[in-house]
Amino acid sequence: MIAGRAARHFDYLLLIVAAALVAYGALLIYSAHLSTYPGGVDLGHPLTKQLIFALLGVSITLAVAWLDYRIFGQMAVGLYAVAVVMLVAVLFIGDSAYGSRRWFTFSGQQVQASEVAKLFVIVALARYLADRQTRIQEIQVFLISLVLAAIPAALVLAEPDMGTAMVFGAVWVGMVLMAGVPPRHVLVLFGLAVSLIPFAMLVVLGEYQRERIRLFFDPNSDPLGGGFNILQAETSIGSGGIFGKGLTEGPQTQLDFLQTSTTDYIFAVLGEELGFIGAVVLLALFTALLFRGIRAATLSRDQFGRLIATGVVIMILFQVFINIAVNIRLVPVTGIPLPFVSQGGSSLVMLFAALGLLEGIVIRHRKIEF
Amino acid sequence: MRPFREHKRWRSAKPKVERDRTGRSPAAFALLRALIILMFGALILQLLNLQVIKGDEFKERAEINALREVPLPSARGLILDRHGQPLVQNSARFSAAIVPGDLPDRGEASVYRLLSGIIDVPVQEIEQRVREGVDGQGEFSPAVIKEDIDRDTALVLMELAPHAPGLQVITEPSRRYLTGSLFSHVLGYTGPISAEEYAALERQSYLFQDFIGKSGVEFTYESALRGRPGKKLIEVDAAGRELKVISERRPIDGSNLVLSIDLDLQRKAAEVLNEYAGGSDNAAAAVMDVKTGELLAMVSLPTFDNNVFSGPLSDGDLAALVESPGKPLVNHLIAERYAPGSTFKTIVGAGALQEEVAAPWTTITSRGYITVENEFDPNVIYVYPDWASLGALDFYGGIAMSSNVYFYYLAGGKADEGFRGLGEGKVAEYARAFGFGEPTGIDLPGESPGLVPDAAWKEQTIGEPWTLGDTYNFGIGQGYVASTPLQVLTAISAVANGGELLSPRVVKEFQDSHGNMLEATDRTVRNHVPVDAENLGTLRAAMRQSVTTGVARAAAVPGVEVAGKTGTAEFGPRLSNGKYATHGWFVGFAPYNDPQIAIVVFVQRGGGGADASPAAAKILDFYFNGPRLAQQVDKPQ
Repeated sequence: MIAGRAARHFDYLLLIVAAALVAYGALLIYSAHLSTYPGGVDLGHPLTKQLIFALLGVSITLAVAWLDYRIFGQMAVGLYAVAVVMLVAVLFIGDSAYGSRRWFTFSGQQVQASEVAKLFVIVALARYLADRQTRIQEIQVFLISLVLAAIPAALVLAEPDMGTAMVFGAVWVGMVLMAGVPPRHVLVLFGLAVSLIPFAMLVVLGEYQRERIRLFFDPNSDPLGGGFNILQAETSIGSGGIFGKGLTEGPQTQLDFLQTSTTDYIFAVLGEELGFIGAVVLLALFTALLFRGIRAATLSRDQFGRLIATGVVIMILFQVFINIAVNIRLVPVTGIPLPFVSQGGSSLVMLFAALGLLEGIVIRHRKIEF
Repeated sequence: MRPFREHKRWRSAKPKVERDRTGRSPAAFALLRALIILMFGALILQLLNLQVIKGDEFKERAEINALREVPLPSARGLILDRHGQPLVQNSARFSAAIVPGDLPDRGEASVYRLLSGIIDVPVQEIEQRVREGVDGQGEFSPAVIKEDIDRDTALVLMELAPHAPGLQVITEPSRRYLTGSLFSHVLGYTGPISAEEYAALERQSYLFQDFIGKSGVEFTYESALRGRPGKKLIEVDAAGRELKVISERRPIDGSNLVLSIDLDLQRKAAEVLNEYAGGSDNAAAAVMDVKTGELLAMVSLPTFDNNVFSGPLSDGDLAALVESPGKPLVNHLIAERYAPGSTFKTIVGAGALQEEVAAPWTTITSRGYITVENEFDPNVIYVYPDWASLGALDFYGGIAMSSNVYFYYLAGGKADEGFRGLGEGKVAEYARAFGFGEPTGIDLPGESPGLVPDAAWKEQTIGEPWTLGDTYNFGIGQGYVASTPLQVLTAISAVANGGELLSPRVVKEFQDSHGNMLEATDRTVRNHVPVDAENLGTLRAAMRQSVTTGVARAAAVPGVEVAGKTGTAEFGPRLSNGKYATHGWFVGFAPYNDPQIAIVVFVQRGGGGADASPAAAKILDFYFNGPRLAQQVDKPQ
């Protein structure tokens, strides 16, 4: 019975939009790798790997959707513990690149610890808040949920990975508000945080982040060093104009002026080669995806599902926003992949797993059918 | 407490009821949707700004991004003597440097150790220089660790550079002057372009790291020697690797200069002059072709090795050169002015003949001095001496014996005897006609114009009226008159060639790099001296007599009829023996009947007859009778 019901309620549109985003990303990855892989696409090409991960992701979506998401609620404590252990471990035994430690290597495959942790923490927070629905107004609940979110956020910040830490923060704010915490708690905390900014600038932020903030305001102070990516991404996107220079036709991309052009700066490839129109299409796809995610939250039969869906939507929203905002110089540089679009296995698999949670919520929604 | 919020059962009420129970939810979801629209809207706005509003600006920036203009240097022209002997070579100078900003984050020490092992400079000193470099010019300018490393070391370092980030070998073009100090004043030297020169020459596509001629023909003929550097426009990738050439303008190498100077004669002249300069601070000699104005030899002592400017030159070394008593960097032939002494009598003589103040047979008796009464007080009598009591002399004798009295008469006259002289105005006029008082226009920088005084000049400069005594002194090339040795030489060349005052030059022609003649330099006649041919002939005969029987006998050369005039000009303060130190001069031409060349020899401390004349004789002897004799036969006469 559950199979038929699942097939009927399964949100095909959600998965199709996600697949469209992966395909869109695949085009960009292909174009950006043209100079490094002139021989075309074969088994060793990053595009092949990306598509394999996408297929793997879809099957994970189906698997997670098939499992009752409430099982993850039972496992929440364990998942949270795993997330924290991973984030601690990566600081000591992780691989470092671009000045931060974020990755484990498992049999040749790099896994980004914070990608996995994000989803686990969402589940744990959802469970905690859902369980305390009746006491949600109590300050104690609010503070404990804050600590639950702050521990992984602080560990991620230590890598250092400012962007992902900010995603944790945004997810937490969204989830507690959705759970019914009085908004004034959040506002007071926010006020406190703002007043601590000068302190944070001096103590919490390392030289690495201060440098990035300085470069954000004046990338020309080091145009060939730290400011290079900022200037080149902006130049690439701006030079794309309304219609772009055409896929594989962007000199900024093809002559390697863009660095990490298939991950953090894949949006710059899009901006250059497909222009403003291409960017609007991308944002339209994300809007559709996120609205489908909100739909899942509205349909959820219980608070736990609703909070998970909210967390996933906010996670994706903030990643998209921060990634693109870095590319177009709205915020200081912080390395965050563009969900579904950027090249990267662990991100893709975890995103599809998150979709699985949403699908699970949708197919088990409240409407009783006979 | 709202107990209905407790989730005890997984299935409880109808969905509609559930939604109502979580009252906040619909509004919260609407807010969440609004947040998405708002955040994406912000992105769209910035994209509009970048791609639509500023799109063209960024398009341009992207184009510039991938294009580089690469200068293609042109090879600097070589310089040859008149027979094609090379005098300079192009070579390279290597320096080991470190670009502090490119050093690996924690690996500076290994780069220092590596470099230290190869160039033999202690690690501490390398660290010190890198620190100085960072303080002085920032992280991304190379800090020079050791200048002038040899070629093999440079090649080793170049091989290592890709594996040792921060290590750099700087290659600079350099000129190697093959004849050392022999041609320093003629050739000059090159040096890094200065900020002022760069500002003036930037339009001619000079680069800030270019070298440029600083003196000598390297300076005068900079544009011919330099040629025209090319450039190419290339497309590069982000690492600066060349992908394709979009356009290219090939460099045009500089022309070779063929000097009019003869290497062998130059060498001989330098050798002879060294021999006769004695205790002089400086000395100069030059040989000029009287028909073309080409200089065949040009020597100024003391000299310097212009190769020192091709290598690292410390401030101390430079100061030593500049402050050395003989001023070796100065070309004394053109840049310094001296009293011409009796050589100037030729000019006064020519003027006197032309103005009919004197004729060849005009006889004046020298009793060893003449006297002049003070205009206001007849009891005050000034004595103007001759160098000896020479007796009665005609014009030839006056020149040949270099009688001062004779020329006191010609220049200033002798009122009490009714002898009318030229007067200072006419003397000055003829001096200027023969090229005194203005640069000769030689193709070398730094020429002095010399000085031709007259009454107006004295009034203006010294504030005293011109006196008869001033005219007497003027008449024998003493007093205020001052000239460069080259001015004296060009004046006598005009006497020798029948009255054409030529601009002397040291470059004969331009050649391309294969030795084909491109262009010859022009013979430039500055002036036709306003003296009849007959009178110039009389002057030449008098100068010939000076060498045969007169005071310039030491300038005689077997087999060649030399004509000339000595000069022994007093200068400086009176010495303890009541005399003055003297400059020794000889200026002349040969052969007398068909003048080919003129010569000037100047010895700053010496005599005209004792030092300058025999020196000139040796140089002339070498020119006419020396090892070059065989080649002279082929010369069109």
